[in-house]
Amino acid sequence: MPVLVPEPHDPICFRKDGKRLDGREVDEPRPFSCEVGVIKNAQGSAVVRHGGNLIYVAVYGPREVHPRHLAKPDRGILRVYYRMSTFSVHDRKSPAPNRRDNEISKVIREAIEPVLFLEAYPDSQIEVFIQIMAADGGTRCASTTAASLALADAGIPMRSMIVGIAAGKAQDKVILDLGDKEDKVGQADVPAVVVMKDKTISLLQFDGEMSIEEMKLGFKYILKGAEVIYQKQLEALKGKYEAIQMQAKKESEEYQKTLPKLPQEKPLPPSDTVVSKKTEEIKVNKDEKVQKPKKEPKKETKKGPKKPTKKDVKKETKKETKKKTEEKAQKANETIQNAPKKDSEKGGKTK
Amino acid sequence: MIDVNKIVSSLERNYILKLLKEGKRIDGRDLFEFREIKIKTNFSPKAEGSADVFLGDTRVMCGVKYDIGKPYSDNPDQGVITVMSEYVPIASPMFESGPPREDSIQLARVVDRGIRHTNCIDKKELCIEPFKAVYILFVDCYMMDYFGNLTDTAAIAAIAALLSAKIPGAKWDSEKGEAVWDGTIKPLTIHEIPLSITFGRVGDVIFVDPYLPEELIMDGSIAFAVDEKKQITSIQKYGNATWTVEEIMEISQKAIEIADDLRAKMNLRRFCPN
Repeated sequence: MPVLVPEPHDPICFRKDGKRLDGREVDEPRPFSCEVGVIKNAQGSAVVRHGGNLIYVAVYGPREVHPRHLAKPDRGILRVYYRMSTFSVHDRKSPAPNRRDNEISKVIREAIEPVLFLEAYPDSQIEVFIQIMAADGGTRCASTTAASLALADAGIPMRSMIVGIAAGKAQDKVILDLGDKEDKVGQADVPAVVVMKDKTISLLQFDGEMSIEEMKLGFKYILKGAEVIYQKQLEALKGKYEAIQMQAKKESEEYQKTLPKLPQEKPLPPSDTVVSKKTEEIKVNKDEKVQKPKKEPKKETKKGPKKPTKKDVKKETKKETKKKTEEKAQKANETIQNAPKKDSEKGGKTK
Repeated sequence: MIDVNKIVSSLERNYILKLLKEGKRIDGRDLFEFREIKIKTNFSPKAEGSADVFLGDTRVMCGVKYDIGKPYSDNPDQGVITVMSEYVPIASPMFESGPPREDSIQLARVVDRGIRHTNCIDKKELCIEPFKAVYILFVDCYMMDYFGNLTDTAAIAAIAALLSAKIPGAKWDSEKGEAVWDGTIKPLTIHEIPLSITFGRVGDVIFVDPYLPEELIMDGSIAFAVDEKKQITSIQKYGNATWTVEEIMEISQKAIEIADDLRAKMNLRRFCPN
């Protein structure tokens, strides 16, 4: 028996003022927020809120493959599990994975694989578990965005971050980032995943009717929308470490406060004099060091090939001195070569 | 199936045992002290009701969905409540994907009994037309992070999700021969708030709300469901430990006290709409 309140199925996707039902422009993505490190047991994890989607992703691995026969001796394997919670959709979904879940797991896996260095993990697996807690259209795209964040959070090296976003067509208009209704009643849906480093596409599906021109516009929107989400991904990843940094700073400050204050009274006279002498000596040395470089460039500019007069040079091995002399000779040659050129140029001009 | 059980080192094991014998816990609690509970409801707009519950770091997310179906022939005027639990592999390296494990089924049944046997929801109120149509409520709990004591966390999540739920009202249309929407959406009537209190046991030491390392080394545990009338409504014994009658009577009393205290602290009724 069907549930009491069915979902609305009218084909209207635009308001009278030309904006979409949720007040967006055609090329505007839905509100997006994300956070990493939300599941403490996982190596890496992320939560993504993209429109009405709420998606949790956890990454475990690289770890042992089970069953063993799936392991590859020359490279690691990536396994992606896309699962919808029973209460994530309008009509309760059966908890067992269905054909759709398995297909989406596969396309997401193939979207992620190109950015991973799986050859670095022979005989092991990386597992990405995706749990949809609320679905609102475009879950495969939002899942990929979340998976990318969780993999980065797990510290797994990646060629680039990836961002999933869909374009489509509803009421003869090309639109970006379809909501649930636009997805269901619209004319076309193009979910895509963009590899942000080189702007290539690593997941592409298409379903509906669209002209080549409309597709072109769709991809333009996709690249624009992906950039917006990419910036938020980076913010979330940096945010985690900034938070740790702040915490560490706070803790160290608190620790400093708890330390017993060192007595800063005048030390005993004999030790005082020794310290002051040492500091004077250091100061003198510093002055010398500062003076040295000032003198050297002058010599080079004026006299070029002449040896530096300091005694330290004698300590150097013969090879080094040889090299130095060669270099100097070269420099000298260059200056000689330069000189006649200038003359010739001048000469040329005068002639 | 992977048999990856997290191994507690013998050093850690001995340390936990030593602490417990002194009446202390590895996370600094007293023997009969619960971890901090955080509850957030209605996180999922597609569910009729939902709750996200943290017990320390243990996390359970629960959602309520409804369906209309035929009643069981032995209870033709009663609705159906089904509690399911999923040990999703997100929660722990010990969980794997696949069909529900024994533990998962047991947990769901324990939470289910807690709800059904306390008259938490009057199942006759879930009936639309006897013999024809009743509400079927699905309470689905997802374990999201496993740091011990999933049973109590899931019980809180389930009741919080039910409290926050709003279900469309129905009337029987005899012409069509099916239940139709009467245009209202109303909260469920919750008569009782059952809570589950789990005690763990290592040797002679008994403690409440086992933390993950304690859960991994303990001999066994026992879960009590307690209603608002200070009655024990269900008991489930887990694991290999044996308990004397005196011990069981003593901790039942303790369970009632702890449940009362928790109920007052959490004030779950605040999650009711309107």
